[in-house]
Amino acid sequence: MGLASRVLFVPYRKSQPCSRGPTRHWSEMATNGRHTTTTTYVRWGMAIDLKRCTGCQSCTMACKVENGTPAGVFWMRVLEREEGTFPLAQTLYMPLRCNHCAEPPCVPVCPTGASYKRTHDSLVLIDQDKCIGCSACVIACPYQVRFVPRHKTGYHGDQFTPYEDVSYKRWQAGTAQKCTFCVHRLDQGLGPACVETCPTKALVYGNLNDPQSEISKLIRTRTHFQPRAEAGTDPSLFYLT
Amino acid sequence: MANLFNTELRAQQEWSWQLALDLFLGGLGGGLFLLYQTIDLPPVFALVSIGLVIAGAVVLLTELGHPLRAWRAIFKARSSWISRGVLLVSVFVVTACIHIAPTITNSSWRIWGGDDMGAKVISVAAALSALGITLYPGFVISASRSIPFWDTPMLPAIFFTQSMMGGCGILLLASAFDGGQGMPQAASLTIATIFLNLAMIAGYLLLMRRTGAPARESVRLLLQTRLRGLFWLGAVGAGMVLPLVLLSVQSAVGTATVAGALLLSGGLLFRYCMLKAGVYLPLPLAGIDLSKLNRTTDQLAREYSGWTARR
Repeated sequence: MGLASRVLFVPYRKSQPCSRGPTRHWSEMATNGRHTTTTTYVRWGMAIDLKRCTGCQSCTMACKVENGTPAGVFWMRVLEREEGTFPLAQTLYMPLRCNHCAEPPCVPVCPTGASYKRTHDSLVLIDQDKCIGCSACVIACPYQVRFVPRHKTGYHGDQFTPYEDVSYKRWQAGTAQKCTFCVHRLDQGLGPACVETCPTKALVYGNLNDPQSEISKLIRTRTHFQPRAEAGTDPSLFYLT
Repeated sequence: MANLFNTELRAQQEWSWQLALDLFLGGLGGGLFLLYQTIDLPPVFALVSIGLVIAGAVVLLTELGHPLRAWRAIFKARSSWISRGVLLVSVFVVTACIHIAPTITNSSWRIWGGDDMGAKVISVAAALSALGITLYPGFVISASRSIPFWDTPMLPAIFFTQSMMGGCGILLLASAFDGGQGMPQAASLTIATIFLNLAMIAGYLLLMRRTGAPARESVRLLLQTRLRGLFWLGAVGAGMVLPLVLLSVQSAVGTATVAGALLLSGGLLFRYCMLKAGVYLPLPLAGIDLSKLNRTTDQLAREYSGWTARR
């Protein structure tokens, strides 16, 4: 079991508030010869190795399959940009998803509190029962990763496939939706679908508050940047270059 | 859908006609009520302003994905300008109704006399909430830091002057019904607000041209490409310049009515153009020089040299 997976099973206390400091409240201890960790809270983050990403869109597809998002909605997608001119030309790929920012601009603009930050693991989530579909969060997000599908329309129009019949029950039309960091899988001790499916292992997730986690080590050792960090959002997404 | 996968500048698609109409009606109602409070207008204008604000709220409700949950929007006034707007509209409707009730009902069931402290408090509360209604659309929009074209404190001021101009437009329209009695006053007020609006919009666009690529693209959308017809001909030409010319040249009731109608249509088009010109910050890949991912051009040339030689 990898270190990142081990961190997944670390229990957390719900009452502890989130903090932006990467190491606050973190402690380690060795127990019975095994390295185990305890923490008071978790901050899930993801590192994306841009040197490994081949732009295969597997993560995009895995996300759609896992979360049953409607046509035109991509909680995860890989941006493409062409660089240079022939013969020195190449395509750059950049997977993009909700950054689960420590200071999410989408949360304060929400008039109903439907967009919120989960206290014990800093995930930015949407309570679909509270969302009124005003799109304020969509506009406020500097990463363009929120969507408000107005109607439940399948990939074949109003005729749903059996899969769509099941998966479309997970979301409501007319409410905002975005990447949940596969919170339903995380809560079961599994990793996000995009991470699990990436064939080049370009995506690494883990607890940013654990200095021993794989993601923390990668961030320490590799050159990286956070998207639009200048906006003061403190995203939990790191691009390794 | 394809533009979700590239890094080109993208204009927002979420807010469109319905929100523009909501902002227009709400601003119009707020502006008209402020005019009613500041210059001596008949109470029917206060009634119209309340109706306009309510109509704006109804339009907004129809735009929401789940209008029946809109009551939840009163709980986040500490952080959300939409929430504050909902509270302002609610306070305005209640206080303005209480304020004008004695006048409309001919004092038969007034709660307090005209000089009563309570009446003054209600009157001030109604005026302040009307002022808030004229300002808050600007704050709602400028709170979106992901769209640099909107991210400026000038917007609330522009929306305020637009609201006052809209209020003047209604006064001009109404001059057709009162035989043009209040027209000279309304015309001079309108000319002043048009000049103020033109100056503010020009200053705003000049500022935005120098603010960065996304804001520059927004200005380009407004002035040169997709929205240029609506903006130049509709919002500026028909909505401000033509009424200005009409009111300056001829002071007839018919002219004033036409100028009022033009002002109103221009105000709606202006808000629509402002919304549709909102261009997002470029997605991260576009703003950062990742060219060749840490490989210099020389390195890349060396890397590809064998390949190019083989060709």
